[in-house]
Amino acid sequence: MSRSGRVVLSIFFWAFVVYLFVPLVLMIVMGFKDSRFIGFPIRSVTFDWYLGVFADAEIMYTFFYSVVIAIASTVAAVIIGTWLAFLLNSWRFMGRAAIYGMMILPALIPGIISAIAFRIYARQLHIEPGMFAIIWAHAVHNVPFVTLVVMARLSTLPRSMGEAARDLGADPFVVLMRVTMPYLRPAIIGASIFCLLLSFDDFVRSFFLGSYQPTLPVLIFAKLRSGMSPEINAIATAALILTAILGIWAERSSRHLARESKS
Amino acid sequence: MTLQEPLVRIEGISKRFGKTVAVHEMHLEIAKGEFVTFLGPSGCGKSTTLRILGGFERPDTGRVLLGGEDITGQAPERRHINMVFQDYALFPHMTVAQNMAFGLELKGMGRAAIATRLKELMAFLEISDFGDRYPSQLSGGQRQRVALARALAPDPSLLLLDEPLGALDAKLRTQVQLELKSIQRRTHKTFFFVTHDQNEALTMSDRIVVMNGGRIEQDGTPEDLYFRPQSRFVAEFVGETNLLEGQVRGRDGEDILFDWCGVTLRGRAHADAVKPGDDVAASLRLERVGLYPTKPETANALQGTIAERVFLGSRTAIDVAVGEQGDRRLRAYADNETLAALPDAPIWLSWDSPSLSILNR
Repeated sequence: MSRSGRVVLSIFFWAFVVYLFVPLVLMIVMGFKDSRFIGFPIRSVTFDWYLGVFADAEIMYTFFYSVVIAIASTVAAVIIGTWLAFLLNSWRFMGRAAIYGMMILPALIPGIISAIAFRIYARQLHIEPGMFAIIWAHAVHNVPFVTLVVMARLSTLPRSMGEAARDLGADPFVVLMRVTMPYLRPAIIGASIFCLLLSFDDFVRSFFLGSYQPTLPVLIFAKLRSGMSPEINAIATAALILTAILGIWAERSSRHLARESKS
Repeated sequence: MTLQEPLVRIEGISKRFGKTVAVHEMHLEIAKGEFVTFLGPSGCGKSTTLRILGGFERPDTGRVLLGGEDITGQAPERRHINMVFQDYALFPHMTVAQNMAFGLELKGMGRAAIATRLKELMAFLEISDFGDRYPSQLSGGQRQRVALARALAPDPSLLLLDEPLGALDAKLRTQVQLELKSIQRRTHKTFFFVTHDQNEALTMSDRIVVMNGGRIEQDGTPEDLYFRPQSRFVAEFVGETNLLEGQVRGRDGEDILFDWCGVTLRGRAHADAVKPGDDVAASLRLERVGLYPTKPETANALQGTIAERVFLGSRTAIDVAVGEQGDRRLRAYADNETLAALPDAPIWLSWDSPSLSILNR
């Protein structure tokens, strides 16, 4: 490629990076502004908004409420999703295609529609809006992601691996615990983190199925309605840093695990 | 177990997959300490037989006995048989030492005893330096050794090897063949080896069972198969040979008289009797054909002219045109000196009667 071509290409690249990151950077910067009014110029800098967020019992409670929901829904989704992956991967049976289709559906339905459907169904089942309902909806929504990731990994497990374990004296349960599950570990960890982030980030389902206690995205939304303030920037920045750390760690560790277990 | 009792007895096993017959009514006995190779093209049933012995397939009919005990329905984890898989099937999340210890732990062996056994075996197979490595950090040859070590660790009565050298490059393969044979000799274990590579089979085995279409074609020593093939399939599959299509004329003592290309040749049949008038093929190994400038006094002598020479380095392969019209070809090997001494005129080809194997129909 010619020199000028490379220059043009790198200009495009950096322009795209700016386009992607300027909103985030602005959001972070505004969290430090010593004024209620968001916008330039910034005359003085303060940590008060952040301190305020960490001192605010409501925000902190909401944060942990969201975390608990994320963890519980992830545990449920991983258990059901992995089980489904085994079922769909094991043998061809009647109705396999139907189960596969139903498994994948929650990932494809628009959030607003599934949220309304959940709300209606929850009422039918006499499930009160609140924590359990949100966990339930998040878990159902996240199952397909777990199943797809685990199935992809499971399909690369050579049949001989399980046979080798049997050959060496392992009964089917020992094969599952000592060979199959460790082999699936990178996939399960990756899927779990993805589920945690999906749940933590979810607004629509949490909004429709929640009670008076909001999740973090719902709380931010509520605060937005009473006017934008740097406090929101501070909450968002804290959440951004947390999820970014989790995401990067997941990416790196799953890459490491995948490398280790490649044979 | 008495001395006469074979280690493995296969009694009439058959196995079908849908409409395909993988193994048909096979009977076989394997003695303790033998290196037996199952040789055949892919789909001949050799791997299925191996998997039946390992417990991964159940035969539709027949029984498998190990040391006199019927193990036909026994789960793989309960058999004193271990297997080296074609793709090695090492556990990727375990180190070499953990892979090797896996079978021992499941046998309920104590920590100290496992450590001793691993140390001994790793020294024996020269993999002591790899104990803490993961399979992904090993080369193909090293993985192959680890797979062998893992299968040998629980001290099985019978070791099954499913084309374990297939993934290695040609040079390494020759080296590993000799090593494997030596390991088998030093451990006094019974090896049951499956391959489609005739060189591998000839190099390593005490005994070769050639399979084709789910049936045993011939069962014998490497020399038997090579020099005394019973069927056309064996003659062609093992080594290079001249196939002569002719007719049986009759018998003269041990010799069978065989008409080919206008002359009567003398050969031997190594299996079922062939009758006069049968149209059969005969196999003549290239190195059994002698080349002479004048007619020798031997059982078989044919005149011909050299049509083609292929220089192979230490020797030359020559195609000799024979027969009334000179339209048949026989291939032979010639020393470079012998070839130089031959006249630039018709030469004589000669061989003794046991060299010409009259094959089954």
